[in-house]
Amino acid sequence: MILTAKAPAIQETPPSEGVTFIGIGEFMVSTLPLSSIGLGSCIGLILHDEGRKMGGLAHIMLPDSQGRTDRPGKYADTALVALLEGMGCHGTTRGRIVAKLAGGASMFAHFSENFSIGDKNLQAVRILLQERSIPIVAEDVGGKVGRTIVYYPGSNGRITIRRGDGSCGEI
Amino acid sequence: MELTPIQKDALQEMGNIGAAHAATALSTMLMTSIEMNVPEIFVVDISKVHEFISDDRAAMVLFQVSGDISHGGFLLLHVPIPSAIRLVNVMLGQTDMDREMSEMDQSALIEIGNIMVSAFLDGTAGLLDTVMLPSPPDLVIDMPHAALEVIIATQLAEGVNEVVLFRTELTSNEHSIESNIILLPNPPMLNDIIRMLENVLSVA
Repeated sequence: MILTAKAPAIQETPPSEGVTFIGIGEFMVSTLPLSSIGLGSCIGLILHDEGRKMGGLAHIMLPDSQGRTDRPGKYADTALVALLEGMGCHGTTRGRIVAKLAGGASMFAHFSENFSIGDKNLQAVRILLQERSIPIVAEDVGGKVGRTIVYYPGSNGRITIRRGDGSCGEI
Repeated sequence: MELTPIQKDALQEMGNIGAAHAATALSTMLMTSIEMNVPEIFVVDISKVHEFISDDRAAMVLFQVSGDISHGGFLLLHVPIPSAIRLVNVMLGQTDMDREMSEMDQSALIEIGNIMVSAFLDGTAGLLDTVMLPSPPDLVIDMPHAALEVIIATQLAEGVNEVVLFRTELTSNEHSIESNIILLPNPPMLNDIIRMLENVLSVA
């Protein structure tokens, strides 16, 4: 066996022109494309305002903040509030805003009982949206696959999806 | 989470010993030389995990770590798809590169993962003078970032925003096979490891 020291090879995400990457627990409101890579049990929550050609993406990791405010994008409850505030919606959304969801998968067959986090995230997001009467107009959720999404606010709120099984889609 | 330089050195040495055991196991299985890089330790903010772990489809054999150490840590073998097929081909004496992963490939990968991960844990547990055991394996062929998200979400107490990640690259130049062994200790397991390493250092 030969042991050689090599320079660290970090697997960088290739830079895509004009796309902002939203990491785990982050959120952003923009008129320009937003992307989250490799959604597993996390949820990509997109709120889209077609009238203003803008919207927001939150990369939600857990269902409930339990009062924590340090990372609004990380939890379903705080992420929804943060996105709405970012889009200038205080109080009612008057049907202007629609939601799209991606992610919430269960990746592992054997550790399943410990890993229902994807389902819990989905359930939490659905209830929160319903409470504010924000309709979910499209979703690509659940199952066993990871998903990379790109959201285009200026192009009818189109979302392209690349899945971990090699398939692609659009919602 | 802040690691002192001494803790970082000690953890790196532990990773080195574990990975060397895994590399020897892989080298024996493939009957070829295996190159190994110096293990890297990253303390990564959850929002930056995507800069370290890609969404390029790969085969991952995952194990939960148990034994005489706090449970909840994960050890995984990560092999990009083309490398995974070459790896199985070398193991099983096949040559067909242009194919999907078959059931046979998947069982072979699980077995390779089992052997390498057991060797890694034997090496590190020997150093720490403890017992570390792998759970039954789970094979996932998907985006590595997606698989890690699930582990991170389950592992971290809600208030924690950093992940500790060990990575060692093992490669075979002869067969152009790349693989990574990745250890994701949860905070209790990391604390145990650091405490055990400090014991080892104070005795030596």
